[in-house]
Amino acid sequence: MLDKNILETLIQQLGKAAVVSEAEDLLVLGYDSTPGLHHAPDVVIYPTSSEQVQIAMQIARDHKLPITPRGSGTGLSGGSIPINGGMVICLNKMNQILEIDEENLTATCQAGVVTLDLFNAVAEKGLFYPPDPGSQKISTLAGNVMEDAGGLRGLKYGVTRDYVMALKCVLPDGSLLSTGGKSVKDVAGYAFKDLLVGSEGTLAIITEITVKLIPPPQDKRTLLAYFDDIQIAGAAVSKIIAAKIIPSTMEIMDKATINCVEDYVKIGLPRQMAALLLIEVDGHPAMVAEEAEGVERILNEVGAAEVHVAKDAEEAASLAEARRTALSALARVSPTTLLEDATVPRSKLAETFALIERLTEKYQLTVGTFGHAGDGNLHPTVLCDERNLDEMKRAHAFYDELYEQVLAWGGTVSGEHGIGIAKKEYLARQIGPGGVAVMKRIKQSFDPDGILNPGKIFVADGE
Amino acid sequence: MNKKEKLGNFTAEDAPEYEDMLQCMRCGFCLPTCPTFALTGRERSSPRGRVALARAVAENKLEFTQAVKEEAYFCLDCRACTTACPSGVRAGEVMEICRSQSHQQSPLGHIGRSFREFILQRMLPNPDLLEKSMLPARLYQRLGIQWLVRHSKALKLGPAWIDKAEGMMPKLDAPLRPQLPEVTPALGEKRGKVGFFLGCIMTLMYPEVSRQTVRVLAHQGFDVITPKETKCCGAPHLNEGDRQTARELALFNLDLFLKADVDYIVTDCAGCGASLKEYEELLAEEEDHQRLELFRSKVRDVQELLCDVGLRTEGLKPVKTSVTYHEPCHLCHAQGVSNQPRELLKAIPGVEFREMNEASWCCGSAATWGLKFSDESQQVLDRKLSNVAATDAEHLVTANPGCHLQLAWGLKQAGMKQDVLHLMELLGRATPEV
Repeated sequence: MLDKNILETLIQQLGKAAVVSEAEDLLVLGYDSTPGLHHAPDVVIYPTSSEQVQIAMQIARDHKLPITPRGSGTGLSGGSIPINGGMVICLNKMNQILEIDEENLTATCQAGVVTLDLFNAVAEKGLFYPPDPGSQKISTLAGNVMEDAGGLRGLKYGVTRDYVMALKCVLPDGSLLSTGGKSVKDVAGYAFKDLLVGSEGTLAIITEITVKLIPPPQDKRTLLAYFDDIQIAGAAVSKIIAAKIIPSTMEIMDKATINCVEDYVKIGLPRQMAALLLIEVDGHPAMVAEEAEGVERILNEVGAAEVHVAKDAEEAASLAEARRTALSALARVSPTTLLEDATVPRSKLAETFALIERLTEKYQLTVGTFGHAGDGNLHPTVLCDERNLDEMKRAHAFYDELYEQVLAWGGTVSGEHGIGIAKKEYLARQIGPGGVAVMKRIKQSFDPDGILNPGKIFVADGE
Repeated sequence: MNKKEKLGNFTAEDAPEYEDMLQCMRCGFCLPTCPTFALTGRERSSPRGRVALARAVAENKLEFTQAVKEEAYFCLDCRACTTACPSGVRAGEVMEICRSQSHQQSPLGHIGRSFREFILQRMLPNPDLLEKSMLPARLYQRLGIQWLVRHSKALKLGPAWIDKAEGMMPKLDAPLRPQLPEVTPALGEKRGKVGFFLGCIMTLMYPEVSRQTVRVLAHQGFDVITPKETKCCGAPHLNEGDRQTARELALFNLDLFLKADVDYIVTDCAGCGASLKEYEELLAEEEDHQRLELFRSKVRDVQELLCDVGLRTEGLKPVKTSVTYHEPCHLCHAQGVSNQPRELLKAIPGVEFREMNEASWCCGSAATWGLKFSDESQQVLDRKLSNVAATDAEHLVTANPGCHLQLAWGLKQAGMKQDVLHLMELLGRATPEV
């Protein structure tokens, strides 16, 4: 329960509309899309300006309230869950696109602009904002920046980090920090913006973002390949890359995922196949034709069961759309979907699929695997029931063993979802005590009192 | 019925299924499709938030509080979230069941209750009474308005509801039910026998629409049986949380139409169609499963039927006009019937079909929602009207009386040129008199 005086101060300084404290509202602002995690905040602020963010942070600091920033709550590592209660700052109402600069090819937005809204707005001007996380219809840009969200186009176009040019944010001491700008080059001092991207809301609260835009590809072609064996699909991915072809998208779905997605979208995906690859090449028409031919040849060489070419843009879009629903569609099968984000060097893909199959067998689990195969970024998802404690234990053992090998191969414990609450121990394993100590010192210098998004990324002393 | 186990802070009868709430993995795909979330930006007024509230009630983390009750009724039950949900969560249905909980857990005062019971349990289940009440001076004006005026507070209707309710009333013709023959024979090559489910609002407020529906069906080669005893489908009862009366009505209609031994059970009201298609779940515990399956397998929206069997266009007269189409929520989201009406429109000779933006976004009618939340309803309606205006089409076509009332009223208020036509009215214009 929040002290009545604090609530009154907040209402007085920010207005009634910006302050939410009813139990039912707090309850539903205590989760994101991460399974099994929930903690209600004590109060929620909906600021409409940087100044309001500063005021809210000042009051929180005065009363030693932890602060957790939140967008649409679609994160997959618990980053926006107020694990120690306190104040949640929801940035959804700061949702204006402030400028699309066609001379400098940039767009400047408030923190809460929805990713797809930005994509559509710049597309109207003949420009392209490539990062397209699965939740792009509702995820916010600041959330994307804080988690360094990826998406289906990461392989060729990179991830959110590659498009952030400037950030404005409020630091835990209430001061404003502006970093980066519209200049293509900028080596003036430490690159704060690069530090802030992917910082999971632990260093500052972003209020404004300037992103880079590019011209859209003139042409694209979508191919769909089916496989009798998922390891062959993995080999196909490595071979395509080795042939020096970089498709814009190279997505994989295993049999379980294909069936769940088909249950929802009903577009005739092959239910009997062990795996499918969704591949898109884009660029200049001549290059697209050449690359599509190359991809098709490699797919046939490695032994794909069937290769299809999407007949038009509409069919291609419906395939990409279907892929985006994979995680949520897997949730049809079981009450709980535990999703991971393991990423390996692409040459290890086939071995990773073999490992997942072996561990699924060993721990007697149901696993659906999908992901950005071209990035080596897989989402093996355990379909389970959080009420079955034994099953949950086996699921955790499964991930434990998987990550051990992923790290041994030089992979990472998170490709695009972030560490958050869920993967703190795995991070320590990946970067070692020295790495964690440096990260903690950086955190300390931004947030000496530790009020900003506590309990994330690092295992706290005594935890 | 077996004594059920109580689920958390829900009562045992008519509680949401725990599994249905657990199914939500909180991905948020529903958020951009929810009209009430678009209006408020408030998580608790989103499908994801509402399911989380219900889950908290089931897990004893929250009482069945006033806020939960409010959300159960603030939900439009438009089911857009059901269409958007890859996990198969049906937040609208969870909320509909919570409405029943709300009546069990915090009953209305005496006056409100007797009014509600009068409408839901006495008037609606009885087609004769309904028609008589309309004959002397029309439902809203005589029976409706006076009662509502006196009890509007008990029903928590919005402040401006009365002007709106009166303004929405179409010019009323005599109810259709007594006029329709029990059997209307097929014309041309016969394609089957349909049982026509004539909805209450259709017979009372849109008798001309359903007259056209029957005429079109006959012209398309169907014997049309219209059982006079048909009772209300139960949708208003589900909507207001009276599941018991809904079950009684459903049992009656199920029996009536199965006895009629028809190939299809057809309606031209999306609300009725959605309700009929849900009898299987509503009656799961009281009826034989084979009979329920058989009934479900026969139910079709009229647009769905005509598109699926193929519209016979030979002999149709051209209707030279342009139309746009508003998808009734209870057709596209609740029944998944979305392409078929468009295919029909494109098949009518002379008709130019113009797609509007956000065709499947609710119009803000949603049964009594539009009267309870008149300001919010106006905002939802305005969004729809601006999408209609952008098409510059001559007519706005839809296929559900609730949308029809709201859209016709909205177009008139806004001084727009379009009128509203049920798709069967348009098809009726193309269908020659014999």
